[in-house]
Amino acid sequence: MADTDTRRDYRGGPGRGFKRKRFGEDDDLVQGHRQQRQRQDVPPGTRLRRGLLEIAEDPLRLAKDVAVNLAKLAVEHWDDEYVRDTLANTVLKLVVEQPFKIPFVAGVVLYANDERPEVVRELLGRLGVQLQEALDAGNWRDCKLLLRFTACLSPLYQEDGIYAILDELFNRAVDLQTASSEDVAGIELVKIILLTIPYWIASGDPSLQQKAAEILEKTDIVASAPHPFEPSIDPYPTSSQEEKPMACPSVIAMLQKQLQEEMSNGWSLALIPRVYEATAANDTHNDVANGDSEMKTSERHPFPSVSIPSPVQPGSKTLFPERYFSLFADQEVESVPSTSNIASTLLRDAIADTINILDFNRNVVAKLLNDIDCFWTPGTFIKRATQFDKLRDVPEGKAKWKPEDVSIDAIFSQIFQLPAPEHRLVYYHSLITESCKISPQAVAPSLGRAIRFLYRHVDSMDMELYYRYMDWFSHHLSNFEFRWKWTEWTAEVDLPDIDPRKAFINGILDKEIRLSFAKRIRETLPEPFRPLIPSSKEKDIPDFKYADDQTPYASEGREVLALLKRKAPEEEIDRVLEPVHEQAINLGATEPLVPSTDIYMTAICSIGSKSLSHVLSTIDRCKQRLLTIGSKSEDARRQIITSVVDFWAEHPGTAVNIVDKLLNYSIVTPMSVIHWALTDHLNRGRILASAQAYELVSTTMFKVVNRIRGVVRERNNPNLLFAQRQQLDQLLPGERQNMRDMFAAITDAVSSVANGTQDSMIERFDDDEGTGERELIMFWGQRWEQVWKRKAAVEEAIVGESVIGPLGEDSAPAAAAAAAEEPDMDVVE
Amino acid sequence: MQNTVDRLDRPSSYATAKQRRNRERRNSNQDSEQAQADLPPVQELEDKLRDATTLYVGNLSFYTTEEQIHELFSKCGEIKRLVMGLDRFQKTPCGFCFVEYYTHQDALDCLKYVGGTKLDERIVRADLDEGFIEGRQYGRGKSGGQVRDEYREEFDPGRGGYGRKLQDDYTDDYS
Repeated sequence: MADTDTRRDYRGGPGRGFKRKRFGEDDDLVQGHRQQRQRQDVPPGTRLRRGLLEIAEDPLRLAKDVAVNLAKLAVEHWDDEYVRDTLANTVLKLVVEQPFKIPFVAGVVLYANDERPEVVRELLGRLGVQLQEALDAGNWRDCKLLLRFTACLSPLYQEDGIYAILDELFNRAVDLQTASSEDVAGIELVKIILLTIPYWIASGDPSLQQKAAEILEKTDIVASAPHPFEPSIDPYPTSSQEEKPMACPSVIAMLQKQLQEEMSNGWSLALIPRVYEATAANDTHNDVANGDSEMKTSERHPFPSVSIPSPVQPGSKTLFPERYFSLFADQEVESVPSTSNIASTLLRDAIADTINILDFNRNVVAKLLNDIDCFWTPGTFIKRATQFDKLRDVPEGKAKWKPEDVSIDAIFSQIFQLPAPEHRLVYYHSLITESCKISPQAVAPSLGRAIRFLYRHVDSMDMELYYRYMDWFSHHLSNFEFRWKWTEWTAEVDLPDIDPRKAFINGILDKEIRLSFAKRIRETLPEPFRPLIPSSKEKDIPDFKYADDQTPYASEGREVLALLKRKAPEEEIDRVLEPVHEQAINLGATEPLVPSTDIYMTAICSIGSKSLSHVLSTIDRCKQRLLTIGSKSEDARRQIITSVVDFWAEHPGTAVNIVDKLLNYSIVTPMSVIHWALTDHLNRGRILASAQAYELVSTTMFKVVNRIRGVVRERNNPNLLFAQRQQLDQLLPGERQNMRDMFAAITDAVSSVANGTQDSMIERFDDDEGTGERELIMFWGQRWEQVWKRKAAVEEAIVGESVIGPLGEDSAPAAAAAAAEEPDMDVVE
Repeated sequence: MQNTVDRLDRPSSYATAKQRRNRERRNSNQDSEQAQADLPPVQELEDKLRDATTLYVGNLSFYTTEEQIHELFSKCGEIKRLVMGLDRFQKTPCGFCFVEYYTHQDALDCLKYVGGTKLDERIVRADLDEGFIEGRQYGRGKSGGQVRDEYREEFDPGRGGYGRKLQDDYTDDYS
């Protein structure tokens, strides 16, 4: 069978262990017997760990009962060193790895305190240490989660300590904000403050509400000030507000408003699970018959002592402001919480963290998302897999939120995160695939609505996201037999290729073919779409154009091909190509090297047409001549690209891959690729609608940017000799200037298309009557402009001289350390 | 500290079991102390894999091309080298390959995000590998392909139909 070779076990749920069943274990009798034996054998520490890991996953068990039992288990075996270790280790690790479970493990700790306060004393000590470490390192996500846990434990403390921490964090945020109007770290701090408040209040004490109000009053000024970078990261950057498919508000501003709203509604915070009931302890305490009454008093503890460094560490990642992306929010049917409801942010924050923290096991993440309704107050969501249409019938005031919609929405928010998601995009792809596998009947319809929403507005989407969507969609289909209801999009088949929707369809089909093959993909399409994959695409090996006598220099082309095939010495090739130079001059060519280069490179492509490794070994063999050509003439260098792209015209992806390798050999330069696409082949701006052009320019700039990030990283590497670092530091201004020049070349070229001032665009478009081609092209120009201006700004924020500061001998300045740890774009972790 | 869930970016039990098998086989075959001294230290495999940038990729269709593999696997980072597994005699693809990345992290990402997903409509298997050496690209089955295709009883159109010859001297798929 095709799909059965899954020796690596990709199944299994969190904390359940991944042991495969041995033969015979399915037998009820055997299993029953085994389990009985297990119960006696498994030591308490192991049971405690397993119980904590699985906490809240079983919807049939009451959260409170589970917490009470686990607390009891820990308390009863407290003399066991392994149990003590396990409790603290597992609890604290769960807090920073599985945010959904924070309120539940907090419940365990609170119940344990009722029974035996020393259990908690040790834990609080370690919590304080860990929180301090996270603060010192500027590890903001851990800070947020540990603070959330600390807040959930509020009933434990003698005096409230959360307020002091939040207040202190706020002061740091103000310092940062005052220092720079472009500061983002301060916004991150305020976000942490605001996201702690709901859990703090939900922990019980009504007196906290007054303090929360005080904080909210203060944070307003930071939270509601728009950040100058926000317009650059708008997923739908259209000018008019009404046209926007989604508002994508600033996360921090939205959160501030939601909390104010929640406060005016008396802080119901209905979705946060309340596991611990304080009365339970008091009841047993009042029970005079109970001899242990002393033990049962809920003892209070000092608040863990932490100090917030001043100034705060910026952390290892360059921060950018965030906007709230939602495919389903604020629509006719409320299948996910609206953007005015604090639930939207609480859910999104917890889901996004779960996704991004646990990237090392997508199966577990998919399972957690599938079970999302287990981790919030029962009744928060509608029953799983409820049909969307049924939501209309739900009476007012009853839960309408579809768990699948909430999860899918959150995954897409990561795919469409600007400027970049935390992990490689393919991670989020695979997560969606796993989610579909776990529960196809529940997830597929939500996914279908997501796909339709995105497609409906694909023309106004940020172009980088447009290509991310294309990439995801084609990859997703490749995991599900390429099944899609193409007929829905039939209306767009006859649009011109530069229409964004038509270009999108063409782009998907091309990417599908790259993962499969043309004939297979054509079979998956309904009749009207089939002409989009002409039979010429089925040809694996393109024709050698010089085989046709009509082609100029046909005989020379064939000769060079033959010579290369038999690995003839260079002089023999010279002997054929020299006359071509003369002929070219006689024919009035501006650059005599161009026709001979075309012959040479086309022959290389033809010899290497069997596979990528064939072309690579041929290029490797011929690299000396190719390097020489490029150094002699820029036109000839760009001809190398033209020859590759023309040869592989039916397989644009292969051409991109080959150009990518030519860049590695320095046979073509990044600038030559940019000018090839955006100067030589601009074609009055039409090339801007080509997915291939975008891919070429992006992969090229990706290399450039990675290189300079690498230089900065090594320059700041304290393990290198200072002299080496100085050398790198001296390289930096030149590298930076190169990068800036390239960004400028791109934005200059596309800006002139965007505003219609590009020379060839000033002439009237012949076929402009009624088609609006000129407007469409200008629109593509604007989309390119938005993307490349953003990318340029992002790199300034990561490797610009103002960010990384001067090189110091002792230790890199704080900001430099941050840039040093900035991951490569292809190592997004 | 131990993660709360298992990690997918570890070498599979297959790789570790292989090492153990090899060692046991050698132990049982040898009686001299000299042979014992030749044994690799226990930690060697883990050390080799600590910076591994190569993946063994299995369960491919015989018809899957380099370009298709490149298309999927480059989603985890630039590919440095791709070596197709070939039938020892016919020199045609026989359903596996080695993918080499520039960095260890890329290889781990591939285990996490691509292993267990589909390529050319088959679930592919990815495993951390100690690195390609010449010769390993050939199938080790009796008739030239991979061993699993010798004894397979099910019909698999992507891998040459039924197993070529059923036999029980199971050795190693790749090594």
